[in-house]
Amino acid sequence: MCAEQKAAAAEPTQAQVPRPASAGAPTTGHEARAAQAELARVVRGPVAAHLNACVRCGLCAETCHIYLAEPEPANVPGVKAARVVDHYRRYHTLLGRLAPKLVGAAELSSAALEQLVETVYGRCTACGRCAVHCAVGADVAAIIRAGRRVLAALARVPAGLQRTVHNQLETGNQMAIPREELLSTGQWLSEELRSELGDERAGIPVDRKGSRVLYLINPREVKFFPLSLLAAAGVFHKAGESWTLSSRFYDVTNYGFYSGSDVAAAELTRRVMAEAAELGVAEVVLSECGHGFRSFRWEGPNWIARRYPLPMRSILTLIEEYLDRGRLRPDPEKNSERVTLHDPCNLVRWGGVSEPQRRILRRVVREFVEMTPNRANNFCCGGGGGMLSMSEFGERRLLSGKVKAEQIRRTGAKIVATPCHNCADQLIELSRHYELGIEVKAVSELVYAALV
Amino acid sequence: MLAGVWAAGALCQQVLSVRRGGPDYSQPAGSPARGLLYNLTLGMLPTRKESARLHPGKFAVGIVMHLGTLACLALVVVSLIDADAGLRGLTLLRPLVAVALLAGLYLLVRRGVSRNLRAMSVPDDYVAIALTCGLLGLSLAAPLFAQGRATLLGYAAVLLVYLPLGKLRHAVFFFLSRGELGSRLGYRGAYPPLRARTE
Repeated sequence: MCAEQKAAAAEPTQAQVPRPASAGAPTTGHEARAAQAELARVVRGPVAAHLNACVRCGLCAETCHIYLAEPEPANVPGVKAARVVDHYRRYHTLLGRLAPKLVGAAELSSAALEQLVETVYGRCTACGRCAVHCAVGADVAAIIRAGRRVLAALARVPAGLQRTVHNQLETGNQMAIPREELLSTGQWLSEELRSELGDERAGIPVDRKGSRVLYLINPREVKFFPLSLLAAAGVFHKAGESWTLSSRFYDVTNYGFYSGSDVAAAELTRRVMAEAAELGVAEVVLSECGHGFRSFRWEGPNWIARRYPLPMRSILTLIEEYLDRGRLRPDPEKNSERVTLHDPCNLVRWGGVSEPQRRILRRVVREFVEMTPNRANNFCCGGGGGMLSMSEFGERRLLSGKVKAEQIRRTGAKIVATPCHNCADQLIELSRHYELGIEVKAVSELVYAALV
Repeated sequence: MLAGVWAAGALCQQVLSVRRGGPDYSQPAGSPARGLLYNLTLGMLPTRKESARLHPGKFAVGIVMHLGTLACLALVVVSLIDADAGLRGLTLLRPLVAVALLAGLYLLVRRGVSRNLRAMSVPDDYVAIALTCGLLGLSLAAPLFAQGRATLLGYAAVLLVYLPLGKLRHAVFFFLSRGELGSRLGYRGAYPPLRARTE
């Protein structure tokens, strides 16, 4: 276990738990030293291979949705990565120390940190499309996250994003939804479900010990899109699943992943796994969320530096299992509009889950058409990387979604399915902004619609 | 020889300083070895890599320049062992080296002309390509004058001294970065991609 894993795995002290940036900023010298120390920690892992690999060839430009929408040099992935690489060179390479101007090495001054914030949070969603198409395989997304880790340690995370992290740590969910609201939403949704299915046994169980599945959801489903939760509950009921929500830690998102705070990310992971143990479930199933899947399934065990005692998977693979075993019998004619699929970057490119959602859609909708490109080559919707919680970058977020909007338009689809609530929010805004006239649905919503 | 020892030693030190980062505690969904192999082979083809597919000319120019450079470096080593064999080899490969030199000069000019490249370039980027063009040019000229071999060997020594210090070290880190990314995505079952074409 390396030093940064140990740091993330240790229980955070009160001082370490991230708080929204305060008005009193530290002095320039202190902050610069703190930044250097954090950078030294961050670059000790495999990211150093990528920090040394970029050859500044610029061929990554057109792989980036942000560059394609705003083709200026600052949006070239190699340029964005350079904002971090230049600081790495200054403190961790020989020429960077002896002849900084020769290699473009840059001091970690306060002005440089300001620019770094604008670049790594405001000009990049860390979707990684550039990484998979890079000539030398430089993982620009990892380089960008290294930059975010430095900034998070200095409490320089944009306020909206930091507030979301704070909400999660203080209340258990990113939207600070009170427990009573979850319970009351669960109750009226249960009534709706019983009415729709004509079955008194249907419902949304909460804190039911001994259930087989602990289902983590996006708080957005409670607050704004309860029908998405209703759909999943309906699918579970039709499949005869034994499942439960947790009223304490039910949030599938992990905004520590976005902000760059591995300490926060580890804490959120730890809480969920402790809750799963407390409820005595056999597996944890993740609602449709790209970064949530990646965070919990792939990054979480490394943040807490131990294997999970329980299996964990996306609801997509569980739904496919239900279909394969005949536990669900959908009628695709009930979804008669043309449907296309948006591939969330963290689920597909970084998470390895690209096929179950396609196989599901082919069984539950009448007409399914792919976007081009798709799967790991798909373009980011523009809403990733925590962009949706950073209003200061809202204009660029909508502009960068132009590529996605055109992809959607070319399919002629009326419905865009996406297994990510974060992407769904962005796609709904894009539909309004670019007048696409589409509906956005979770995959489980289409499955449920084909069952009732 | 000393320059070669310096280059090898410095690069080894840099490579060894890249920590693996400890074990991966997540449950694997695929094979890191398959992902690594994919990313170092098929994953670099224009059919799989959009940056190459969208810029076939620049991709080809880059390949030619690298091939020529590698050929010259190989012949420098041969020349250390057998001077005549080295010079014969350089004479034989003159067409490749000449084209590689043209490719290198094109890339050098392009870096100074392209808006995006100018914005992202630092002096080291120009030094790297200029040094490479110098090697290619001297390799062309070496068989033609009496001190050609000695001059070429001296120049190659300078190049090797600089190699671990600047961008040229991508010669080694290229494998590390592609290997690490391929291995990580292979572990997650994301590599090799099931449908690798742009669909």
